[in-house]
Amino acid sequence: MKKMLPVEELARDERFVRSEITDRIADPRNDRIAERNLGSARLEPDRPAALDRSRSLMHGIFMGEIQALEGAGRTCFDFDDDEVPFALKLDMARQCWDESRHVEISVKLGEHMGTEIGEYAEQTFLYQAACNPDAVLRLTGVNRALEGLAIDVFNTMKEFGEASGDPVLAACEDWMLADEVTHVKMGSDWLRRMTADDPERRERALEFQRVVDKLFSIGGFRGEGDESPIQLARRFRELAGFSDAELDEIAEISEEAAADSRAASG
Amino acid sequence: MPESTEPRPAFAPWDRRELPGLFTVEESARRVGNYKWIEMRLFEALGGWVATVPELDVKLVLGRHCYHHAWHAELWDKRLPELREMNTERLTQPANDAVVRLMESVREPEAPELTIEKLVGVYRVLMPRKIAAYTYHLNVTSTITDAPTMRSLKFVLSDELDDWREGEMLIQSLLGSPETLARATARQEAVETLAVEAGGVAGPGTIGGTVTVDGEVVA
Repeated sequence: MKKMLPVEELARDERFVRSEITDRIADPRNDRIAERNLGSARLEPDRPAALDRSRSLMHGIFMGEIQALEGAGRTCFDFDDDEVPFALKLDMARQCWDESRHVEISVKLGEHMGTEIGEYAEQTFLYQAACNPDAVLRLTGVNRALEGLAIDVFNTMKEFGEASGDPVLAACEDWMLADEVTHVKMGSDWLRRMTADDPERRERALEFQRVVDKLFSIGGFRGEGDESPIQLARRFRELAGFSDAELDEIAEISEEAAADSRAASG
Repeated sequence: MPESTEPRPAFAPWDRRELPGLFTVEESARRVGNYKWIEMRLFEALGGWVATVPELDVKLVLGRHCYHHAWHAELWDKRLPELREMNTERLTQPANDAVVRLMESVREPEAPELTIEKLVGVYRVLMPRKIAAYTYHLNVTSTITDAPTMRSLKFVLSDELDDWREGEMLIQSLLGSPETLARATARQEAVETLAVEAGGVAGPGTIGGTVTVDGEVVA
Protein backbone atom coordinates (compact mmCIF):
# COMPACT_ATOMS: atom_id res chain seq x y z
CA MET A 1 0.00 0.00 0.00
CA LYS A 2 1.38 3.39 -0.96
CA LYS A 3 1.80 6.36 1.35
CA MET A 4 -0.37 9.46 0.80
CA LEU A 5 -3.62 8.27 -0.75
CA PRO A 6 -5.04 11.00 -3.03
CA VAL A 7 -8.60 12.16 -2.52
CA GLU A 8 -9.69 10.70 -5.86
CA GLU A 9 -8.99 7.21 -4.51
CA LEU A 10 -11.24 7.39 -1.46
CA ALA A 11 -13.31 4.19 -1.64
CA ARG A 12 -17.11 4.48 -1.54
CA ASP A 13 -20.02 2.22 -2.41
CA GLU A 14 -22.57 3.11 -5.10
CA ARG A 15 -24.84 5.12 -2.79
CA PHE A 16 -22.37 7.97 -2.49
CA VAL A 17 -22.37 10.93 -4.90
CA ARG A 18 -19.58 13.47 -4.93
CA SER A 19 -19.76 17.17 -5.81
CA GLU A 20 -17.18 19.93 -5.86
CA ILE A 21 -17.39 22.74 -3.33
CA THR A 22 -16.71 25.20 -6.16
CA ASP A 23 -19.90 24.00 -7.89
CA ARG A 24 -21.84 24.59 -4.70
CA ILE A 25 -20.44 28.10 -4.28
CA ALA A 26 -21.08 28.94 -7.94
CA ASP A 27 -24.60 27.50 -7.90
CA PRO A 28 -26.72 30.15 -9.72
CA ARG A 29 -29.58 29.52 -7.33
CA ASN A 30 -27.55 31.03 -4.50
CA ASP A 31 -28.29 34.60 -5.60
CA ARG A 32 -32.02 34.02 -5.60
CA ILE A 33 -31.85 32.38 -2.19
CA ALA A 34 -29.89 35.35 -0.85
CA GLU A 35 -32.53 37.74 -2.18
CA ARG A 36 -35.21 36.08 -0.07
CA ASN A 37 -33.66 37.42 3.17
CA LEU A 38 -35.76 35.47 5.64
CA GLY A 39 -33.98 36.96 8.65
CA SER A 40 -31.93 34.87 11.04
CA ALA A 41 -30.16 31.88 9.49
CA ARG A 42 -29.79 30.14 12.85
CA LEU A 43 -30.95 26.56 13.06
CA GLU A 44 -34.18 27.04 15.01
CA PRO A 45 -37.10 24.61 15.09
CA ASP A 46 -39.82 27.14 14.28
CA ARG A 47 -38.37 27.96 10.87
CA PRO A 48 -40.21 26.25 8.00
CA ALA A 49 -37.11 24.58 6.53
CA ALA A 50 -35.57 23.64 9.88
CA LEU A 51 -36.18 19.91 9.62
CA ASP A 52 -34.84 19.66 6.07
CA ARG A 53 -31.81 21.72 7.01
CA SER A 54 -31.13 19.63 10.09
CA ARG A 55 -31.33 16.43 8.02
CA SER A 56 -28.96 17.89 5.45
CA LEU A 57 -26.60 18.95 8.23
CA MET A 58 -26.74 15.50 9.80
CA HIS A 59 -25.80 13.93 6.47
CA GLY A 60 -22.96 16.43 6.23
CA ILE A 61 -21.81 15.38 9.70
CA PHE A 62 -21.93 11.74 8.61
CA MET A 63 -19.75 12.46 5.57
CA GLY A 64 -17.38 14.56 7.65
CA GLU A 65 -16.98 11.76 10.18
CA ILE A 66 -16.14 9.24 7.47
CA GLN A 67 -13.44 11.51 6.09
CA ALA A 68 -12.14 12.33 9.57
CA LEU A 69 -11.89 8.57 10.19
CA GLU A 70 -10.05 8.09 6.92
CA GLY A 71 -7.74 11.03 7.61
CA ALA A 72 -6.79 9.82 11.09
CA GLY A 73 -6.23 6.32 9.69
CA ARG A 74 -3.95 7.63 6.98
CA THR A 75 -1.91 9.56 9.56
CA CYS A 76 -1.30 6.24 11.33
CA PHE A 77 0.04 4.81 8.07
CA ASP A 78 1.57 7.64 6.05
CA PHE A 79 4.44 8.51 8.38
CA ASP A 80 7.36 6.28 9.31
CA ASP A 81 8.56 5.79 12.88
CA ASP A 82 11.31 8.38 12.45
CA GLU A 83 8.93 11.02 11.07
CA VAL A 84 6.39 11.32 13.88
CA PRO A 85 6.41 10.26 17.55
CA PHE A 86 4.94 6.89 18.49
CA ALA A 87 2.52 8.66 20.86
CA LEU A 88 1.15 10.78 18.02
CA LYS A 89 0.27 7.65 16.07
CA LEU A 90 -1.41 6.23 19.16
CA ASP A 91 -3.51 9.38 19.41
CA MET A 92 -4.50 9.08 15.76
CA ALA A 93 -5.46 5.42 16.25
CA ARG A 94 -7.62 6.45 19.18
CA GLN A 95 -9.19 9.10 16.97
CA CYS A 96 -9.92 6.38 14.39
CA TRP A 97 -12.02 4.54 16.94
CA ASP A 98 -13.79 7.74 18.00
CA GLU A 99 -14.58 8.74 14.41
CA SER A 100 -15.74 5.23 13.66
CA ARG A 101 -18.25 5.53 16.51
CA HIS A 102 -19.28 8.96 15.23
CA VAL A 103 -20.07 7.47 11.83
CA GLU A 104 -22.19 4.81 13.52
CA ILE A 105 -23.97 7.45 15.61
CA SER A 106 -24.52 9.65 12.54
CA VAL A 107 -26.02 6.80 10.51
CA LYS A 108 -28.46 6.00 13.30
CA LEU A 109 -29.31 9.68 13.91
CA GLY A 110 -29.80 10.17 10.17
CA GLU A 111 -32.35 7.36 10.13
CA HIS A 112 -33.91 8.81 13.28
CA MET A 113 -34.28 12.18 11.55
CA GLY A 114 -35.61 10.76 8.30
CA THR A 115 -32.68 10.83 5.91
CA GLU A 116 -30.52 8.07 4.46
CA ILE A 117 -27.00 7.52 3.20
CA GLY A 118 -26.52 9.16 -0.20
CA GLU A 119 -29.48 11.54 -0.04
CA TYR A 120 -27.07 14.49 -0.15
CA ALA A 121 -23.83 14.90 -2.07
CA GLU A 122 -20.39 14.40 -0.53
CA GLN A 123 -17.68 17.02 -0.71
CA THR A 124 -14.17 15.91 0.03
CA PHE A 125 -12.32 18.98 1.23
CA LEU A 126 -12.10 17.64 4.77
CA TYR A 127 -10.05 14.66 3.58
CA GLN A 128 -8.01 16.98 1.35
CA ALA A 129 -6.89 18.88 4.46
CA ALA A 130 -5.92 15.50 5.90
CA CYS A 131 -3.60 14.82 2.95
CA ASN A 132 -1.00 17.44 3.83
CA PRO A 133 2.45 15.80 3.65
CA ASP A 134 3.62 17.68 6.77
CA ALA A 135 2.23 15.88 9.84
CA VAL A 136 2.10 19.11 11.86
CA LEU A 137 0.12 20.93 9.18
CA ARG A 138 -2.15 17.93 8.83
CA LEU A 139 -2.91 17.85 12.54
CA THR A 140 -3.36 21.59 12.72
CA GLY A 141 -5.69 21.66 9.72
CA VAL A 142 -7.69 18.64 10.77
CA ASN A 143 -7.61 18.58 14.56
CA ARG A 144 -7.71 22.30 15.24
CA ALA A 145 -9.60 23.73 12.26
CA LEU A 146 -11.94 20.89 11.23
CA GLU A 147 -12.46 19.25 14.58
CA GLY A 148 -12.89 22.78 15.94
CA LEU A 149 -15.66 23.26 13.40
CA ALA A 150 -17.11 19.94 14.58
CA ILE A 151 -17.35 21.42 18.08
CA ASP A 152 -19.37 24.30 16.63
CA VAL A 153 -21.58 21.97 14.57
CA PHE A 154 -22.25 19.48 17.37
CA ASN A 155 -23.06 22.22 19.82
CA THR A 156 -25.45 23.80 17.31
CA MET A 157 -27.13 20.43 16.69
CA LYS A 158 -27.29 19.71 20.42
CA GLU A 159 -29.04 23.01 21.02
CA PHE A 160 -31.37 22.29 18.09
CA GLY A 161 -32.21 18.91 19.64
CA GLU A 162 -32.97 20.55 22.97
CA ALA A 163 -35.06 23.30 21.40
CA SER A 164 -37.02 20.91 19.18
CA GLY A 165 -37.76 18.43 21.97
CA ASP A 166 -35.54 15.66 20.60
CA PRO A 167 -33.59 14.22 23.56
CA VAL A 168 -32.01 11.48 21.41
CA LEU A 169 -30.42 14.02 19.09
CA ALA A 170 -29.34 16.27 21.98
CA ALA A 171 -27.78 13.42 23.98
CA CYS A 172 -25.90 11.88 21.04
CA GLU A 173 -24.52 15.24 19.92
CA ASP A 174 -23.33 15.91 23.46
CA TRP A 175 -21.39 12.63 23.50
CA MET A 176 -19.75 13.42 20.17
CA LEU A 177 -18.99 16.92 21.38
CA ALA A 178 -17.01 15.45 24.29
CA ASP A 179 -14.86 13.45 21.85
CA GLU A 180 -14.26 16.45 19.61
CA VAL A 181 -12.97 18.56 22.50
CA THR A 182 -10.42 15.78 23.09
CA HIS A 183 -9.42 15.72 19.42
CA VAL A 184 -8.91 19.47 19.25
CA LYS A 185 -6.82 19.32 22.40
CA MET A 186 -4.69 16.60 20.79
CA GLY A 187 -4.08 18.89 17.82
CA SER A 188 -3.15 21.83 20.05
CA ASP A 189 -0.79 19.66 22.14
CA TRP A 190 1.01 18.16 19.14
CA LEU A 191 1.33 21.54 17.43
CA ARG A 192 3.02 22.91 20.55
CA ARG A 193 5.27 19.87 21.11
CA MET A 194 6.38 19.32 17.53
CA THR A 195 7.12 22.97 16.80
CA ALA A 196 8.68 23.91 20.15
CA ASP A 197 12.02 24.51 18.40
CA ASP A 198 10.70 25.44 14.99
CA PRO A 199 8.69 28.69 15.04
CA GLU A 200 8.64 28.87 11.24
CA ARG A 201 6.96 25.49 10.99
CA ARG A 202 4.48 26.53 13.67
CA GLU A 203 3.59 29.68 11.74
CA ARG A 204 3.10 27.64 8.54
CA ALA A 205 0.80 25.31 10.45
CA LEU A 206 -1.22 28.17 11.91
CA GLU A 207 -1.50 29.78 8.48
CA PHE A 208 -2.79 26.47 7.12
CA GLN A 209 -5.33 26.45 9.94
CA ARG A 210 -6.48 29.96 8.98
CA VAL A 211 -6.96 28.87 5.37
CA VAL A 212 -9.02 25.87 6.44
CA ASP A 213 -11.00 27.94 8.95
CA LYS A 214 -11.84 30.45 6.23
CA LEU A 215 -12.81 27.71 3.81
CA PHE A 216 -15.29 26.35 6.33
CA SER A 217 -16.71 29.77 7.02
CA ILE A 218 -17.66 30.29 3.37
CA GLY A 219 -20.92 32.15 2.92
CA GLY A 220 -21.11 32.85 6.64
CA PHE A 221 -21.74 29.15 7.34
CA ARG A 222 -20.05 29.40 10.74
CA GLY A 223 -19.89 32.57 12.81
CA GLU A 224 -21.41 34.50 15.68
CA GLY A 225 -24.10 36.51 13.88
CA ASP A 226 -27.67 35.69 12.95
CA GLU A 227 -26.67 35.01 9.36
CA SER A 228 -24.63 31.95 10.41
CA PRO A 229 -26.48 28.65 10.85
CA ILE A 230 -23.53 27.23 12.78
CA GLN A 231 -22.59 29.25 15.82
CA LEU A 232 -19.04 29.52 17.16
CA ALA A 233 -19.03 27.48 20.39
CA ARG A 234 -16.65 29.57 22.46
CA ARG A 235 -17.15 27.76 25.76
CA PHE A 236 -16.35 24.29 24.41
CA ARG A 237 -13.48 25.60 22.28
CA GLU A 238 -11.95 27.11 25.41
CA LEU A 239 -12.08 23.66 27.01
CA ALA A 240 -10.19 22.35 23.98
CA GLY A 241 -7.39 24.84 24.49
CA PHE A 242 -8.29 27.79 22.26
CA SER A 243 -7.33 31.17 23.74
CA ASP A 244 -9.62 34.19 23.63
CA ALA A 245 -7.35 35.76 21.01
CA GLU A 246 -7.59 32.66 18.82
CA LEU A 247 -11.36 32.60 19.16
CA ASP A 248 -11.57 36.28 18.23
CA GLU A 249 -9.46 35.54 15.17
CA ILE A 250 -11.75 32.70 14.07
CA ALA A 251 -14.77 34.98 14.56
CA GLU A 252 -13.01 37.61 12.44
CA ILE A 253 -12.18 35.09 9.72
CA SER A 254 -15.82 34.00 9.71
CA GLU A 255 -17.00 37.60 9.40
CA GLU A 256 -14.59 38.17 6.50
CA ALA A 257 -15.88 35.07 4.77
CA ALA A 258 -19.47 36.24 5.22
CA ALA A 259 -18.57 39.70 3.87
CA ASP A 260 -16.83 38.13 0.86
CA SER A 261 -19.96 36.14 0.21
CA ARG A 262 -22.23 39.19 0.45
CA ALA A 263 -19.96 41.10 -1.93
CA ALA A 264 -19.90 38.22 -4.40
CA SER A 265 -23.69 38.06 -4.53
CA GLY A 266 -23.92 41.78 -5.18
CA MET B 1 -13.10 -17.64 64.25
CA PRO B 2 -9.27 -17.75 63.85
CA GLU B 3 -7.07 -15.50 65.92
CA SER B 4 -5.70 -12.54 63.91
CA THR B 5 -2.19 -13.52 64.89
CA GLU B 6 -2.53 -17.13 63.81
CA PRO B 7 0.17 -17.85 61.16
CA ARG B 8 -1.15 -18.50 57.68
CA PRO B 9 0.81 -19.68 54.62
CA ALA B 10 1.77 -17.12 51.98
CA PHE B 11 -0.15 -19.08 49.40
CA ALA B 12 -3.73 -20.19 49.93
CA PRO B 13 -4.33 -23.90 49.34
CA TRP B 14 -6.00 -23.20 45.99
CA ASP B 15 -3.18 -20.95 44.75
CA ARG B 16 -1.05 -23.29 42.62
CA ARG B 17 1.21 -20.68 41.00
CA GLU B 18 4.80 -21.79 40.68
CA LEU B 19 8.32 -20.52 40.03
CA PRO B 20 10.24 -19.94 37.87
CA GLY B 21 8.39 -20.21 34.53
CA LEU B 22 9.92 -21.00 31.17
CA PHE B 23 11.20 -17.57 30.13
CA THR B 24 14.12 -15.50 31.32
CA VAL B 25 13.74 -11.73 31.66
CA GLU B 26 15.59 -11.36 28.37
CA GLU B 27 13.40 -13.84 26.51
CA SER B 28 10.21 -12.28 27.77
CA ALA B 29 11.52 -8.83 26.76
CA ARG B 30 12.55 -10.08 23.32
CA ARG B 31 9.08 -11.45 22.69
CA VAL B 32 7.40 -8.31 24.00
CA GLY B 33 9.53 -6.25 21.60
CA ASN B 34 8.48 -8.52 18.73
CA TYR B 35 4.84 -8.16 19.74
CA LYS B 36 5.10 -4.38 19.83
CA TRP B 37 6.65 -4.28 16.35
CA ILE B 38 3.91 -6.51 14.92
CA GLU B 39 1.10 -4.54 16.61
CA MET B 40 2.52 -1.27 15.26
CA ARG B 41 2.71 -2.53 11.71
CA LEU B 42 -0.80 -3.91 12.05
CA PHE B 43 -2.53 -0.82 13.44
CA GLU B 44 -0.84 1.33 10.80
CA ALA B 45 -2.16 -0.92 8.04
CA LEU B 46 -5.68 -1.09 9.42
CA GLY B 47 -5.73 2.71 9.70
CA GLY B 48 -4.38 3.11 6.18
CA TRP B 49 -6.92 0.68 4.74
CA VAL B 50 -9.94 2.54 6.12
CA ALA B 51 -9.83 4.95 3.17
CA THR B 52 -9.36 2.14 0.65
CA VAL B 53 -12.33 -0.14 1.43
CA PRO B 54 -15.72 0.79 -0.04
CA GLU B 55 -17.72 -1.46 2.30
CA LEU B 56 -19.01 0.83 5.05
CA ASP B 57 -19.25 -1.85 7.75
CA VAL B 58 -15.69 -3.02 7.04
CA LYS B 59 -14.45 0.58 7.10
CA LEU B 60 -15.90 1.10 10.58
CA VAL B 61 -14.59 -2.18 11.99
CA LEU B 62 -11.09 -1.41 10.70
CA GLY B 63 -11.24 1.98 12.41
CA ARG B 64 -12.16 0.34 15.72
CA HIS B 65 -9.62 -2.47 15.47
CA CYS B 66 -6.90 0.01 14.49
CA TYR B 67 -7.13 1.46 17.98
CA HIS B 68 -7.17 -1.94 19.67
CA HIS B 69 -3.82 -2.86 18.15
CA ALA B 70 -2.38 0.58 18.86
CA TRP B 71 -3.33 0.08 22.49
CA HIS B 72 -1.63 -3.32 22.48
CA ALA B 73 1.52 -1.70 21.09
CA GLU B 74 1.31 0.86 23.88
CA LEU B 75 0.98 -1.86 26.53
CA TRP B 76 4.07 -3.62 25.18
CA ASP B 77 5.96 -0.33 24.94
CA LYS B 78 5.27 0.32 28.61
CA ARG B 79 6.30 -3.20 29.61
CA LEU B 80 9.73 -3.10 27.94
CA PRO B 81 11.45 -0.78 30.46
CA GLU B 82 10.07 -2.93 33.25
CA LEU B 83 11.95 -5.82 31.64
CA ARG B 84 15.24 -3.89 31.88
CA GLU B 85 15.04 -2.53 28.31
CA MET B 86 15.22 1.22 28.81
CA ASN B 87 15.78 1.90 25.13
CA THR B 88 12.49 0.45 23.92
CA GLU B 89 13.41 1.01 20.27
CA ARG B 90 16.24 -1.52 20.54
CA LEU B 91 13.85 -4.39 21.09
CA THR B 92 10.99 -3.03 18.98
CA GLN B 93 12.07 -5.29 16.17
CA PRO B 94 10.74 -8.07 13.99
CA ALA B 95 11.86 -11.52 15.11
CA ASN B 96 13.57 -12.16 11.77
CA ASP B 97 13.57 -11.12 8.10
CA ALA B 98 10.78 -13.55 7.31
CA VAL B 99 8.51 -11.73 9.78
CA VAL B 100 9.23 -8.53 7.84
CA ARG B 101 8.21 -10.28 4.61
CA LEU B 102 5.10 -11.62 6.33
CA MET B 103 4.01 -8.14 7.43
CA GLU B 104 4.85 -6.62 4.04
CA SER B 105 2.58 -9.20 2.48
CA VAL B 106 -0.19 -8.60 5.01
CA ARG B 107 -0.04 -4.83 4.35
CA GLU B 108 0.37 -5.02 0.57
CA PRO B 109 -3.24 -5.01 -0.80
CA GLU B 110 -4.47 -1.51 -1.58
CA ALA B 111 -7.08 -1.42 -4.36
CA PRO B 112 -10.74 -1.04 -3.32
CA GLU B 113 -11.68 -4.40 -4.86
CA LEU B 114 -9.20 -6.25 -2.60
CA THR B 115 -11.14 -6.21 0.67
CA ILE B 116 -11.14 -10.01 0.88
CA GLU B 117 -7.36 -10.11 0.48
CA LYS B 118 -6.93 -7.44 3.16
CA LEU B 119 -9.17 -9.21 5.65
CA VAL B 120 -7.91 -12.75 5.02
CA GLY B 121 -4.28 -11.78 5.56
CA VAL B 122 -5.14 -10.22 8.91
CA TYR B 123 -7.99 -12.31 10.29
CA ARG B 124 -7.22 -15.77 8.90
CA VAL B 125 -3.43 -15.74 9.18
CA LEU B 126 -1.94 -12.99 11.31
CA MET B 127 -4.52 -12.84 14.10
CA PRO B 128 -4.59 -16.62 14.69
CA ARG B 129 -0.79 -16.56 14.75
CA LYS B 130 -0.81 -13.74 17.29
CA ILE B 131 -3.41 -15.47 19.42
CA ALA B 132 -1.23 -18.59 19.40
CA ALA B 133 1.89 -16.64 20.38
CA TYR B 134 0.16 -14.75 23.17
CA THR B 135 -1.49 -17.90 24.49
CA TYR B 136 1.81 -19.75 24.58
CA HIS B 137 3.48 -16.88 26.42
CA LEU B 138 0.62 -16.76 28.90
CA ASN B 139 0.79 -20.51 29.50
CA VAL B 140 4.52 -20.90 30.04
CA THR B 141 5.83 -17.74 31.65
CA SER B 142 6.10 -17.52 35.42
CA THR B 143 2.76 -16.77 36.99
CA ILE B 144 4.53 -14.92 39.79
CA THR B 145 7.62 -13.22 38.38
CA ASP B 146 6.13 -12.26 35.00
CA ALA B 147 2.63 -11.45 36.25
CA PRO B 148 2.60 -7.92 34.77
CA THR B 149 3.19 -9.36 31.29
CA MET B 150 0.47 -11.91 31.91
CA ARG B 151 -1.99 -9.22 32.88
CA SER B 152 -1.32 -7.39 29.61
CA LEU B 153 -1.50 -10.67 27.68
CA LYS B 154 -4.96 -11.32 29.08
CA PHE B 155 -6.23 -7.86 28.06
CA VAL B 156 -4.68 -8.26 24.63
CA LEU B 157 -6.01 -11.77 24.11
CA SER B 158 -9.52 -10.66 25.02
CA ASP B 159 -9.37 -8.04 22.24
CA GLU B 160 -7.70 -10.40 19.80
CA LEU B 161 -10.32 -13.11 20.19
CA ASP B 162 -13.20 -10.65 19.83
CA ASP B 163 -11.60 -8.95 16.84
CA TRP B 164 -10.67 -12.21 15.17
CA ARG B 165 -14.29 -13.38 15.47
CA GLU B 166 -15.60 -10.11 14.03
CA GLY B 167 -13.09 -10.17 11.17
CA GLU B 168 -13.89 -13.78 10.36
CA MET B 169 -17.61 -12.94 10.18
CA LEU B 170 -16.88 -10.07 7.81
CA ILE B 171 -14.90 -12.44 5.60
CA GLN B 172 -17.70 -15.01 5.59
CA SER B 173 -20.17 -12.29 4.61
CA LEU B 174 -18.01 -11.44 1.58
CA LEU B 175 -17.57 -15.02 0.32
CA GLY B 176 -20.61 -15.33 -1.90
CA SER B 177 -19.24 -17.18 -4.93
CA PRO B 178 -16.68 -19.80 -5.98
CA GLU B 179 -14.53 -16.96 -7.29
CA THR B 180 -14.41 -15.10 -3.96
CA LEU B 181 -13.81 -18.38 -2.12
CA ALA B 182 -10.88 -19.13 -4.43
CA ARG B 183 -9.44 -15.68 -3.81
CA ALA B 184 -9.68 -16.11 -0.05
CA THR B 185 -8.10 -19.55 -0.16
CA ALA B 186 -5.24 -18.44 -2.41
CA ARG B 187 -4.57 -15.41 -0.26
CA GLN B 188 -4.57 -17.44 2.94
CA GLU B 189 -2.11 -19.94 1.51
CA ALA B 190 0.21 -17.20 0.27
CA VAL B 191 0.34 -15.36 3.60
CA GLU B 192 0.38 -18.55 5.68
CA THR B 193 3.41 -19.73 3.74
CA LEU B 194 5.27 -16.63 4.91
CA ALA B 195 4.08 -17.16 8.48
CA VAL B 196 5.49 -20.69 8.38
CA GLU B 197 8.81 -19.41 7.04
CA ALA B 198 8.91 -16.88 9.88
CA GLY B 199 8.28 -19.57 12.48
CA GLY B 200 5.46 -17.47 13.94
CA VAL B 201 5.21 -13.84 14.99
CA ALA B 202 8.09 -14.22 17.44
CA GLY B 203 10.19 -16.42 15.16
CA PRO B 204 11.00 -20.13 15.61
CA GLY B 205 9.75 -21.35 18.97
CA THR B 206 6.86 -18.89 19.01
CA ILE B 207 4.58 -21.62 20.35
CA GLY B 208 7.20 -23.93 21.81
CA GLY B 209 10.14 -26.03 20.77
CA THR B 210 13.69 -24.91 21.19
CA VAL B 211 14.16 -21.18 21.63
CA THR B 212 17.57 -19.66 21.08
CA VAL B 213 18.86 -16.14 21.60
CA ASP B 214 22.23 -15.27 20.06
CA GLY B 215 22.87 -18.98 19.60
CA GLU B 216 22.10 -19.88 23.20
CA VAL B 217 19.20 -22.14 24.07
CA VAL B 218 17.02 -20.17 26.47
CA ALA B 219 13.84 -22.25 26.54
